[in-house]
Amino acid sequence: MVVSQNRLTIALAGNPNSGKTTVFNALTGARQHVGNYPGVTVERKEGYRRFGDYQLTVVDLPGTYSLTAHSVDELVARNFIVDERPDVVVQVVDASNLERNLYLGTQIMELKVPLVLAFNMSDVADSRGYRFDYERLSALLGAPIVPTVGHKGVGIDDLLRAVVEVASSERPLHEELVHYGRDIEAEINRLGGFLEDEQGLDKYPPRWVAIKLLEGDEEIREKVRRSAVKADRILAGAQAAIGRLQKLYVDPPAVVIAEARYGFISGACEEAVRISTVEARHDMSDRIDTVLTNRALGLPIFLVLMWLVFQLTFTLGAPPMGWIEAFFGWLSELVAGVLPEGYVRSLLADGIIAGVGGVLVFLPNILLLFLAIAFLEDSGYMARAAFIMDRIMHKIGLHGKSFIPLLIGFGCTIPAVMATRMLENRRDRIVTILVSPLMSCGARLPVYVLLSGAFFGPAVAGNVIFSLYILGIVLAVLMGKLFRRYLLPGPSTPFVMELPPYRLPTARGLLIHMWQRGWFYLKKAGTIILAMSVVMWALSTFPRRKELEGQYASRIEAAADEEEVAHLEGELAQKQLELSFAGRIGKGLAHVLKPVGLGEWKIGTALFAGFGAKEIVVSTLGTLYSLGESEGESEALRGALKEDLSPLKAYVFMVFVLIYVPCVASVAVIKRETNSWRWPLFAIGYTTVLAWVVSLVIYQGGVLLGLA
Amino acid sequence: MAKGLSASLEDYLEAILTLTEGEGAAHVKRIAERLEVTMPSVTGALQSLAERRLVNYRPYGAVTLTGRGRKVAKRVSVRHDLLNRFFEEVLGLGAESAEENACRIEHVMDDDALERLASYVEFSETCPLKICTWHGGFGRFCEGEPGGKGCEERLQELVARLRPQETGERKVKELTLDRIKPGQKARILRVSAASGATSQRMSDMGVTRGTVVEVKRVAPLGDPIEVKLKGYHLSLRKEEARGITVELQGEPD
Repeated sequence: MVVSQNRLTIALAGNPNSGKTTVFNALTGARQHVGNYPGVTVERKEGYRRFGDYQLTVVDLPGTYSLTAHSVDELVARNFIVDERPDVVVQVVDASNLERNLYLGTQIMELKVPLVLAFNMSDVADSRGYRFDYERLSALLGAPIVPTVGHKGVGIDDLLRAVVEVASSERPLHEELVHYGRDIEAEINRLGGFLEDEQGLDKYPPRWVAIKLLEGDEEIREKVRRSAVKADRILAGAQAAIGRLQKLYVDPPAVVIAEARYGFISGACEEAVRISTVEARHDMSDRIDTVLTNRALGLPIFLVLMWLVFQLTFTLGAPPMGWIEAFFGWLSELVAGVLPEGYVRSLLADGIIAGVGGVLVFLPNILLLFLAIAFLEDSGYMARAAFIMDRIMHKIGLHGKSFIPLLIGFGCTIPAVMATRMLENRRDRIVTILVSPLMSCGARLPVYVLLSGAFFGPAVAGNVIFSLYILGIVLAVLMGKLFRRYLLPGPSTPFVMELPPYRLPTARGLLIHMWQRGWFYLKKAGTIILAMSVVMWALSTFPRRKELEGQYASRIEAAADEEEVAHLEGELAQKQLELSFAGRIGKGLAHVLKPVGLGEWKIGTALFAGFGAKEIVVSTLGTLYSLGESEGESEALRGALKEDLSPLKAYVFMVFVLIYVPCVASVAVIKRETNSWRWPLFAIGYTTVLAWVVSLVIYQGGVLLGLA
Repeated sequence: MAKGLSASLEDYLEAILTLTEGEGAAHVKRIAERLEVTMPSVTGALQSLAERRLVNYRPYGAVTLTGRGRKVAKRVSVRHDLLNRFFEEVLGLGAESAEENACRIEHVMDDDALERLASYVEFSETCPLKICTWHGGFGRFCEGEPGGKGCEERLQELVARLRPQETGERKVKELTLDRIKPGQKARILRVSAASGATSQRMSDMGVTRGTVVEVKRVAPLGDPIEVKLKGYHLSLRKEEARGITVELQGEPD
């Protein structure tokens, strides 16, 4: 095969936890590009490398155990191999866990692509006493084998040499690696005969299509239905064959086929692998697990670790967040000082600079959170966390892993939504995303502090705030169940999950992971957040009344002292906000919110402004109530609020803030993570309706009980 | 079989056996009722049997079997049962007709043929395939269904029915994986799952027939469980483990 301009595309396949990422990093260094596969939210990582005369593009396929149509990751991986025809597929194999790893290899081989097996973690396999007869095994499997140690970069050059050699060799490809037994082979041949002259399916090896049809693969059936001339005959033939085989074997052919693959592999291993000593590392991993997943200690240790993750993310993240806020505050003032008064100044200072600040302010949280998550994932603890929490989460219809994003939601919804990436199942992921805004985030706390401080004594204020957190959790559980049953129904994801041996993560791996998340956030979500911040700024700025400004300018000039100036400036700001679009929207909202006891336009306006970010509710209330003294904690504001609100109304207000629309940045992140506007819009819609209904029940209930 | 014993004497022995087992004792009156003969005939027969030392008989007392008599009576009764079952189960006759024919034929057939027939019945019942009775297939043939029809179908049915029995035959105790305690090892016999996706996932992860799994531990909240197979660790919910039938592999050491 002549390779055009010496360019080669290499697809990197492998099981999760096989060290695929370390091999990818070792192959490509920092020259990576992260994107998405079209149409799905599966990450696509690409890296580049020169080797001799070759320019290599390495595509990191999602980590999978198999190539079925049941998981998006597996679909993406196999479609990449079929559609983009990489020159070589390299499968990273955990050499210390050979049988399950080679199961994927047998399937890749059936796709008729050149395959090179990288026996990764060969050092670990060595220490566990495995002795491989590479030559023999390679002959049995029909693919070259290169031992590697990803995190040390051992064997990478040999691997590249093997890749180049395979790409340029004319060696026929082993397609019939696994022999499935007389009866199944007969059916494969019969179906293969039907498939022979199907032009529409010529991308796929007929044998592979036949096997997939016998396995009942939905995606392939669909492909046949759409592109085959004799689709009816093929599908009917497949159905009949499945029926015949099932009669013969009782089990569905898919199971028998899997058994045959494992049978072949275990035969090959028997011939070419010897085990000489005891399994040292697994024993250590086992010992760690006797503590970390212990029946008594497992849960407390998990909770402590989660507390640490939370603290790391939000406590350690607080100072840099403060610096970023201070920097942008300073920059905004600097611009305000340099530029002449007017729309341009306002747009720059209050719109764009504040918007960019609003994007960057979450960056420390996101970087730290993903550092922690990467550590949990790479060390192998994440699977244990899911193992420990699954009982509870399964009751809500979610997966054990959903617990972590929801917990992070108490800090901030944005990283929480991003953390749902570790959920493999799309339904679990979307339900988790949808309920995560109900976890009361840090930005809502200032609102609670202001209102409960103003309306409830110090003795009960804490309990009032606590009740809001509990309400959020209860609603999340209810909505989660509801969504799982009606919105995204389907069987719950099987919890057939590997618990990989514990490993010490590499610093490089952690940093790359953290950096990629941060970059993704800035690039993808940042732009939307910025644009929406500018829109929010415009809504609360326009239209402007020139005559009002003129009027106040002269009064301010005539003011007697500083206090009066401040008072007048505050009054101007309040009037301007009242006349702006935001003020008008607030007045409109007030009508809708009347039944829930919040029929005051100032509250409507504050709630609308809170769409920008929940803590803005406080500063807007400051502008609207306290006339110039916009400090949230100020006594004047508390006093002023008491004129419009009762304790019951204040509580309803807080409940509304808890539940209603996720902030602009969350909406942007939901859009990015789900790859469509459908889910963020749904989230806005359902939270608003839910907020209204819950507030109504509490308010009217309170009125009935005479609490008003 | 006691030589020279007439057909009716065998009937007496059988009746005495049934009565002593059922009612504790055999009286002349009850024997006469049972065999529908007159009391003097019973007395005559009993004397004849007593001469051969098959029964202990004193006038007006209860009749008991001697050791030898019991042995003979047992044999007669077993043969009778076997014949009865042959007519009823293999040939598909009605219960009453089977009983009547058994009574008649047990005395006319010679010993060898009877023995053979009895063995055949026994064989047809122990054969796991029930190949001889074809699960009523012969009965259907007698009712006019042509031979051979549906045989293949029934064979499949039988094979399916037989699979789970295979292990039962080897006296293996079957359990589901969720009932295996931590530290115990078990071999997978069958896997069934709620959905195709779960079943596929389990096969992909190596949860296949014949694989030996070791239960490592149960999660702190009681579900899921952790098992070790093919050299790696896997977690499963109990509801998934319930679909996996296993046999225990010896106690942990």
